[in-house]
Order: sequence, then C-alpha cells, then structure tokens
Amino acid sequence: MELRGCTRDYGAVRAVDGLDLQVREGEFLSLLGPSGCGKTTTLALIAGFVPPTAGQVLIDGEDVTGRPAHRRGLGVVFQSYALFPHLTVFENVAFGLRERRVPAAEIARRVAEALTLVRLEGQGRQRPAALSGGMQQRVALARALVYRPRVLLLDEPLAALDRKLREQMRDELRAIQRSVGITTIFVTHDQAEALGLSDRIAVMNRGRIEQLGPPREVYERPATRFVADFIGASTVLRGRAVGADRVALGAGPAVRVAGPRALPAGAEVELAIRPERIGLAPGPGDNVLDARVETLVYQGALTEVTARLPDGQRVLAFVVEPAPAPLAPGQAVRLRLPPEAFMVLG
Amino acid sequence: MLRAAVVALLGFMTLPTVVVIAVSFNPTAILSFPPAGLSLRWYENVLTYPQFQRAALNSLLVTGGAVALALPAGALAALALERGRLRGQSLWAAVLLSPVVVPGVAAGLGFLILAAGLGLLRSRAVLVAAHVALVLPFVVRSVWVSARNLDPALELAAASLGASPWRVFRRVTLPLLRPGLFAGFLFAVVVSLNEFVVSLFISNRVTEILPVAMFTYVVNYTDPTIAALSALFILATFVVVWLADRYLDLGRVFLRH
Amino acid sequence: MRLLLLPAVVVLAVFAAALAALFRWSVLEFVPGSLQTGGLTLGNFRAVLAPHYLGAIRDTVVLSALTTVLTLAGAYPVAYVLARTPSRRVRSALLVLTLAPFFTGAIVRTYAWVLVLGNTVIDWPVPLLFTERGVLVGLVHFSMPTMILVLAAALSHIDPVYERAAASLGASPARVFRRVTLPLSMPGVVSGGLIVFAWTLSAFPTPELLGGGRVKMIANVVKDLGLDSFNWPGAAAFAMLALALTLALLTVAGRLARARPS
Repeated sequence: MELRGCTRDYGAVRAVDGLDLQVREGEFLSLLGPSGCGKTTTLALIAGFVPPTAGQVLIDGEDVTGRPAHRRGLGVVFQSYALFPHLTVFENVAFGLRERRVPAAEIARRVAEALTLVRLEGQGRQRPAALSGGMQQRVALARALVYRPRVLLLDEPLAALDRKLREQMRDELRAIQRSVGITTIFVTHDQAEALGLSDRIAVMNRGRIEQLGPPREVYERPATRFVADFIGASTVLRGRAVGADRVALGAGPAVRVAGPRALPAGAEVELAIRPERIGLAPGPGDNVLDARVETLVYQGALTEVTARLPDGQRVLAFVVEPAPAPLAPGQAVRLRLPPEAFMVLG
Repeated sequence: MLRAAVVALLGFMTLPTVVVIAVSFNPTAILSFPPAGLSLRWYENVLTYPQFQRAALNSLLVTGGAVALALPAGALAALALERGRLRGQSLWAAVLLSPVVVPGVAAGLGFLILAAGLGLLRSRAVLVAAHVALVLPFVVRSVWVSARNLDPALELAAASLGASPWRVFRRVTLPLLRPGLFAGFLFAVVVSLNEFVVSLFISNRVTEILPVAMFTYVVNYTDPTIAALSALFILATFVVVWLADRYLDLGRVFLRH
Repeated sequence: MRLLLLPAVVVLAVFAAALAALFRWSVLEFVPGSLQTGGLTLGNFRAVLAPHYLGAIRDTVVLSALTTVLTLAGAYPVAYVLARTPSRRVRSALLVLTLAPFFTGAIVRTYAWVLVLGNTVIDWPVPLLFTERGVLVGLVHFSMPTMILVLAAALSHIDPVYERAAASLGASPARVFRRVTLPLSMPGVVSGGLIVFAWTLSAFPTPELLGGGRVKMIANVVKDLGLDSFNWPGAAAFAMLALALTLALLTVAGRLARARPS
C-alpha cells in the first residue's frame, strides 16, 4: 500500500499534509501520534471513506484514489467495532462474503473458520449486544478478515478495553496477524502498543510523519524532539560543545557524548537521555553529575526521581526498586549519565 | 402532596373518557350516570348506521392513501435531515414540521378554495392531499429520532465490507430505522383517522370521514350512539399509543435522558 | 442528498398552494349570494375589525389567556413527575395517559365533555354547558397533553445535579424547587405557554360543541362565514388573521427556546 503526497483539508484545517508512505507486503505498521495528529484521517484516506484533497492512494501498485470504499477490498476494524446490532455474530461475519456472492455452504465454512481463528467458535447465534467488549472486538476482526482482504486497517481497536484485556488482545492480535500474514496498518495513540506490535512505526504529528522506522530505532534514536518527547520519557539537557565529543552543561563539568558524529566546536547542543539509563553513582567519576533530589514518585517496580543540576536544569531518572540507598527530597545525590545513552537532537 | 395533585389531575384528564365509556352502555336514550343497566344497542346502532358505514369506508381510503404517501416521503426527508449535511438544516426542519402549526380552519378553508378552483370539490383526492401534509410532520419526527440514533460507523463498516450505497441502505440503514418507521406509521394513522377541522371544510356527505360524520350526528341528535363510537375510538387509540410506547420507548421521543 | 427531500417537498407544495389560495381570496371582494368575487380589496380585513367581530376576537384572546394559565398550573406537577421519575413503568403509564387523549381526536373528546358538563350525568350547581366556563374547561383539557409534554421535555433537560447541589448547600425540597428548578424551567414554561396560547386561539370543535352557538371564537367565525354564509373572502380574511397571530406567537416561542441555557 502506498500513499503519495496525500493531503486532506477540512476547510482551513490541514489534517494530513503531503504524506508519503510505503507499506511493505505482510508488515505490521503502526501510525502513532497524539490526538489530532492526522492518523485517523490517514486511515480514512486509505479506506476510501474520504477523498484526498491532493495526492494518490495505491494498493498493489494500482491507483485506487478515485475508487469508492466498497470497491477497495480492504478490511476495517473500527474503534467502536461497528457490529450490526440487528444481525447475529454469524451474519455479521458473513456480511462481506454475502456482498461477494459467495455460495451459502462456502459462507458457512469460512465463517466457522474465521470464528475459530479468533477463538469464538459456537458464538454464531449470539447478538453483539450479548457479548463482552473483548468478544465484540474479536467478532469485528473476524468480520474484516474472513474474505481475505489485501490490507487490514485497525482504528485504535484496543482503546475501549481495560488494561488486562488490552494486553491479552494485543498478543492475540499479533499472533493472528503473523499466522495470516496480512499487511496491517494499526492506528494508536498508545506507544507501548505500537512498540510491542509493530514491524515499523510511523510517528505522526500535525499531519506529517516525523519518523518512520522499526520500534527499536524510533525509541533509541529519535530523529526529532517531538519523537523523543512522545515516545518514552526523556530529559532534554542544553549545553555547549567543548570538543568533538564533550558537552558542558552550565558551569559544571563536561560530559562525554558517544554520538555518531563529531560535535561542532562551541555550538549550542540539545541532548536527550532516557530516565532508565541514568543510575545512582556511589562516588565521583566520569560522566557523574552532582544533583539535589526534588521529588520522588513511587511506582512499585521503580521510583521516578526528579533531581536538579547545579545550573538549574532538571533531570528525570528511574531508580529500580529496591533502591541501592534510601532517597529523600532535598538529598544530595550523584547521577551517572552513560556517554552512549545520549541522543543528540536537531 | 405532589402525588395527590398528580393523581387528581390525571383523574381530570381521564374523567371524560370514563364517562363516555360508561354512557355508551346506557340502555336508554335518556342519559344517567351511573348507567341504569348495560346494553349494547348503541354499539349496534353505530355499526349499522349507513352514514357511519360510508364514513368509515372513506376514513379507510383517505387514511390508507395518506399514510402510504406520507411514510416514504417523510422517511426520506428525515434521512436527508440527519445525514444530508444540508445548508439551512433547521429551516428545512421547520418547513417539514410546519403543517402542525397552521390553524385547522386556515388550512381547511384554503384547501376548499383550492379544490373549488380546480373543480375537485367532490373528490377524495383533496382529502388525501390534505391528510398527507397534516400527517407528514409526525412521520418525519419519528423517523428522525431513529436516524439520529443510528451510528454512522455502521454504514461505513458495511461499505468497507463491500456493500454498495444501495446495499448499505437495504441491509443496514432500513432495518435499523424500523422502530421509527413503525412509530411514524402509528402516529400517522391515528392523526389521520381523528382529523376533523380541515376535513370538515373539504368534504361533503358523500366523501366525509368518520369524525365529520360524528360531528354532524352530534349536532342533530342527542342519543348515546356517539358515546359508543367514541368509546371504540378511545380503545383503538389507547392500544395504538401503548404499542408505540412499547416499540419505540416514547420517553426517548419526547424527553431526554 | 437533496433529492431525498423531493417527495416531501411536493406534498408541502400542495399545502402551500392551499395557503396561497387562502391569502388570495382574503384580498378579493365578496359578492354576496354567490361564490364569484370582485376585484382586489382590503374590505374583508376592514370588516374583520367591525365591532361585531371584534367581540369574538376579544373573547378569543381572553379565553386563550385563561386557558394558558390554568393549563400551566395543572400541567406542571404532572410534567415534573413525568420528567423526574426513575421508573420506566410510571413514565410509560404517564405518557400513555397523556398522549392517548392527545390522539383521540377532537370530536370524541369534546363530545365527552358535552356529556359531563350537561346536567344529565352530574348535576352541577352552576350551568356549565353552552357557557364560557364550560368552553374553558374543555379548552384546558384539550391543552393539557401538549403543555405536559413541553414542560416535561424542558424539565428533563435540567441536569438533576443542580438540585442535588442546592440540597447539599442546605435548601429544603420546596426551596430547591423555587430557587433552582422553577427558574431553570422558565424557558419551557414560556414556550409551552406560547404554544398553548397560539393553538387555543384557533380552537374550533371545543367552542363549537360546548359553546352551543353562544360562544364564538375566531375559528367558529371562519366556519360560519365560510360554510354557512359562503362568504369565502371574509372567512379567508379571518383565517389569515388567525394564521398571522399563530405564526407571530410561535416565532417568539422559537426565539426564546433557542436562547435557552443548556
């Protein structure tokens, strides 16, 4: 599936801005971003629910830009599931097959197959209203897959489920996608989901893709400040380059930065570092900074420590519990920031 | 105390109904309450009075014709209001609901003048034309409520599954509009069968519908025949309204939760 | 999408044609004794304002006003219970009891009152049938369902959380009603009042049957002129008057409804 230069305007608002995207056969791609970033509109463009103001949509190399939704041969799972309340589970799943004039005996066989795939055998006679949220979601999935569409589109399908169910469905979804091998585009605002499910993630902001790449790359090497902020937590520190690989933070000591490129001497630099990479140091040393604890938030598996550097900048660190030494607000601590953990921004 | 007041008021509202039904069983033409005995002679009179029989037939024809025309017209209009993204939607809504607002005598006289001008004074077509307009707002309102409760995602889902717009309408939209259509049908029938003022102006002895025939009878005679006919009307209306409530939860039509 | 409106538009066009015919004849000269008409004239409207008819207009306005006030007083309690009751059964029962008379048709309801108000069934200390009092009773009964529905709809739009907040601040149920519920329901009260007033101005069967020829409201005059005297232009002028009054009142009601705090 490919989008070429797709733009979609709603009056004066540009929801999608010149988007270029190529989705590989069989891959699981997530569109990740905050609400309003254009990810749902992008999905609507692919599905054919809205036409692009400019640009093209291609499926298997075919230009389908002008083609209405019902002739694109895609499978869509909606956030609200959109199960037809006046039809049974069986009839819901069979809907797409009936539109394709598949004979009745074949329909029965394939619906049974689809229901087995989503672990809902025997539920055919129920009405959607009688099923739990998790089961409804599986019916929606079966309905979208049963006629073997070319691409599967999922619009925040797990958003309405509670946490435990969400994690369970996430794993099931991945397993089903892998076993069927279908090209899948998954829209979500939940980065944990995107990181856990995807072959590649497209991080979107204001109608554009800020970064496209495998989860590990997006997490460990964010291309822009937005991506660094949106995915995971991070501290952004400002300093000045005092060597090819050294940055001075305020009046304090310089830290070594093991980046891919040499830093331009004397330039203002922005560094990001993930809180889980920062550790408590027993004594002074290389890349160890003095700081004073401001707040502590206990989270069970770890404690979020916010500490202030001498030059006033704040640092967020995760300390795995049980902590090596007891911590209290106002306490002086030493933090080690490993050189390879720094991400140079901009 | 509130409850007592409400009960008293409900009593006031239903008192006439009770009296009418009681009187309809009165054995003699001299009215007394409570009735001196029980008799079905007035019901028999109703069913055998030729003018009532003719009027009943007219009512059936006019109401049947009016409802048959108003249902599709009103349903399509309701869909257009809800989904059509019309400019001036509230204006369109006002226009579609406007016949209810016009005084009966004004509409009645207007139709009379119009019919006379077209030479249609003795036809039931004018009655049907008037009734369709009078009944349309009720159909539009009922179907609109159903349409508003229809999740648009369902139609998108059907399209994504391969259904063309016509198939979406037939397989998803129409079945889900059934409660509104049924309620609209019921309201239309009840309103048309009971319509009096406009029909008084545009019908004559041959074409008059049942309420007009009743009016003529009441003006000329004083026996309880009309009580019997009224009792039948009341019973039929109660059943229809009760059905409409069961099928379409009238609370949702008129109130908000 | 606009095409969907076409059938309904055709229906309404016929209706509009009828109203246009009405308007046209209201400005044509009446030729007594025939259905022919003379030329354009405002004579019909002048005749409408003659003292004889002015009395009917005045009676109509007075009766309508009284009806509105009494109906409001009677409908409010029922509407309150209807809007606030948690029980679906009570709500259904009230709705059926309210709507059934609404749909039972004017002749049946008016005839029922002829029976009740005439001294044959209950002996009244004061004559009621064929008097203005009797017509008033009939009109109030006629308007109750409408008023109840409008008020109930308005009350159901008032979030009960306001009443709970007032109670938590120390207000007794009576005070909560006076200081919170009633004021918040005012837009509904006003619009319901205007609707009933406008409707009652054009009432026909009630004054016709319960008035026995002694009580004449605007609609009765239209019928007398139109169907008895065959003075269609005169009747049309009167009917236009009723239509204009109704539209004016409902426009005001509509404006007020839109200004409702939601």
